[in-house]
Amino acid sequence: MELLRVENLNFAYSDGKQALENISFSLEEGEMLCVCGPTGSGKSTLLRLLKRELSPRGTKNGVIYLNGRKQDSLSEFEAATEVGFVMQRPDMQIVTDKVWHELAFGLENIGVKQDEIRRRVCEIAGYFGMESWFDRSTDSLSGGQKQLLNLASVMVMQPSLLILDEPVSQLDPIAASDLLATVKKLCREFGITVIAAEQRLEELIPASDKLLALKDGRIVTFGETRECVKALMSDEHFAVSMPASAKLYRKLMGVAFERKEALSSHKRSGSESGNPEIPLSVGEGRRFLKNMISEIKSHDSGLPEDKEGPGTSLKSLARNQMWVNLASKEEKSGTENVEGNDALKKGRPEKEKNDFALEFREVYLKYERAGRDILQALSFKVRKGEIFCMLGGNGAGKSTAVSAAAGLVKPYTGKIKVFGKNIGDYRGQELYRECVALLPQDVQTVFLTDDINGRHPYDLSGGEQQLAALDIVLATKPRLLLLDEPTKGLDAVLTAELVNRLRALAQEGVTIVIVSHDVEFAADVADRCALLFNGEVVSVSDSRDFFAGNYFYTTALSRITRGIVK
Amino acid sequence: MKPLEKYNPAVIFLYFLLLASLAMFAANPVMIAISVLTMNAAAVAYSREGLARSYVFYAIIFVLTSLANPVFSHNGVTVLLVVNDNPITLEAVLYGVMTGFMILSVLLLFRVFSTLMTSDRLLYIFGRAFPKLGLLLAMTLRFVPLFGRQRRKIENTQRTLGLYKDENAIDTIKGKLSVLSAMTTWGLENGIVTADSMSARGYGIKRSRTSFSMFRFERSDLGLLLIVIASCTFIFFGIATDKLKTDFYPRMQLPPFSPYATVCYILYTGLAIFPLVAKVAETLRWKWISGKAYDDKIKR
Repeated sequence: MELLRVENLNFAYSDGKQALENISFSLEEGEMLCVCGPTGSGKSTLLRLLKRELSPRGTKNGVIYLNGRKQDSLSEFEAATEVGFVMQRPDMQIVTDKVWHELAFGLENIGVKQDEIRRRVCEIAGYFGMESWFDRSTDSLSGGQKQLLNLASVMVMQPSLLILDEPVSQLDPIAASDLLATVKKLCREFGITVIAAEQRLEELIPASDKLLALKDGRIVTFGETRECVKALMSDEHFAVSMPASAKLYRKLMGVAFERKEALSSHKRSGSESGNPEIPLSVGEGRRFLKNMISEIKSHDSGLPEDKEGPGTSLKSLARNQMWVNLASKEEKSGTENVEGNDALKKGRPEKEKNDFALEFREVYLKYERAGRDILQALSFKVRKGEIFCMLGGNGAGKSTAVSAAAGLVKPYTGKIKVFGKNIGDYRGQELYRECVALLPQDVQTVFLTDDINGRHPYDLSGGEQQLAALDIVLATKPRLLLLDEPTKGLDAVLTAELVNRLRALAQEGVTIVIVSHDVEFAADVADRCALLFNGEVVSVSDSRDFFAGNYFYTTALSRITRGIVK
Repeated sequence: MKPLEKYNPAVIFLYFLLLASLAMFAANPVMIAISVLTMNAAAVAYSREGLARSYVFYAIIFVLTSLANPVFSHNGVTVLLVVNDNPITLEAVLYGVMTGFMILSVLLLFRVFSTLMTSDRLLYIFGRAFPKLGLLLAMTLRFVPLFGRQRRKIENTQRTLGLYKDENAIDTIKGKLSVLSAMTTWGLENGIVTADSMSARGYGIKRSRTSFSMFRFERSDLGLLLIVIASCTFIFFGIATDKLKTDFYPRMQLPPFSPYATVCYILYTGLAIFPLVAKVAETLRWKWISGKAYDDKIKR
């Protein structure tokens, strides 16, 4: 049954800016739609227009049908309950102080009776696995739990359409994939229709049935996910944000196309296997790659000369690129990169190795006397001018480690040296004068002024805020730059820009220490990586060895190619 | 008997309210003695930490109230000494000491009350009476810690960015002011998200809002409520008909021990000792259950 139909929707903001043009699409009940597009393409505007209470002000043309009825004709009660909406910032969507009260909030608003509320609240808490924190105050929850609570407090209203506007952009990857799995489960088990917009598409695309790509307020493509992805791969702007397996497909099929033509001209025959389907998930990517290799091998056995064939290409891919995000490497050839890297390593003078920008020596830190150690025996050294990245799960102590390096929290034992000098020996504000700077996780704490290049910082998108905050931080001319989750809320294009900027800074001699969940980004930018677990460094090595050696904490591409290409 | 905190908050609230007013209105040395002893024991049983420090404060309050009466009131026939032509009488001193104990017992009672009455329980009581105020309180309780945390985060970030760089008072004040202004912007901008989240879930639609709470009213709540109301009525009747009256002036009399008064004392003891008994019973029962479980394990 058709649940949602949008016909010729046009929308212009009250300042005259045209945000959406000629949007038409429809969704069946129980389908999951992924909305993608660059920043400012009108994703949020479209999603908000679908929820009547949140419709932005402006001129709207066109009709939105929900369950066969015009959106305007719905009663207040229906409009509130039929469509659920979850936004980006987990913290600000929570209204009350207790988890159970938050779950009941929507039901209180629509005047449901006590006993009915109790039943529905307890039922939903059970389904979402929230029993153990049902009585807790909302302030004590983790980011992932907060967003799960927001989802649950919307689902308790029993909507038939669930809209998610970048629900996981502020979450770490593990919490993000948990949340998406829950959404997918709701979709599958209850036939709820889901519309989700997100910057990171690695996991959302394989989960969704349909895809809608927006650019400058117009639909670029709409339809079955797989076909749309295939179509979008030819568009540079969209291709960078597609899943790794789709990028791999494009790269290899490009080679294979040429190869096949060569084959057919050589042999005048050949197995007409046709093009395999474009893979979307890591699992599909692995299957595709295996088939590809066996096909190439069978072809290659009949071929005497083998120099520049796909086999070589695959090998070089494995050697040079499996640890690196394909997107940013597209322009450079893989071989060059490796040579460049080796040259860099050889070129580094030996004596410089003793010259460290940041050094942690057996640092122990906890926030409460009776509490557990957040950092324990944390030791690592960061060379001058390198980009050092610390990865690790939630609660591994990553943020605490950078806060300690910035002198904001003090360890109870152990030494922290900044440019060879004990951090405690920096007097007053000396540490922050052209020495150390920190880009915190919450970049909104950076903005003191109301004006950034003529715009209010809060009017910028999440990604633009991130880059603006980086500018402000860099204005203090630091020699050691500490970044806490710098890719939060960035889309693929802005991430690439960030990578370039950080590389340029490192060239100028700025030492950069990054803590992040984002493995793809770390693989792209870092010279060395460390894995933090339970407040200590469990492994540290050059990025390439690091990601090739890890099984879970590694890039999607490395997971696809693991064990298949060596 | 279930632990005191498991009773319906409204019943607990009423219980403490009546207990405190009895202690205050009776002005009867026996009842105040009972009150001080039982509330002391309850405060020790219920408090988690910081009791010793509170006792220093209580002692100061006790001494001040005890001294205040003989300094300002010169009634009574037994003159102990004369200061600046003003007689200090034994009766006034005794009355002052009794008032001191009364205040002490109410302070202790309030301490026990505050460990039991967490924010959600208070909210339940007031949310019932004033639904709008209830929601406002819940939102306040949500946003006060959130704002506090954000302020600390902004302070930390700005410190690394060179705020407070001159390290003098004026610069510090300037810094604090800009943090405050940043907080305001942050609050207003992010408040929009909260408002969206509220209206997306139907806040403000034309339907009467209900107020939900997790607390139930059980049979045991009704039982406690009836016992409390019955005993308090009995004692209040005694107070109103001067059956518990103890005169201090002009000469102090012994508190009454008529049959009615004696029943009042027994009832009052029963009421006031209830928190302690509930706590001790809970602890003992728990020890017994876990001990039994342990024995069972050994046997098996």
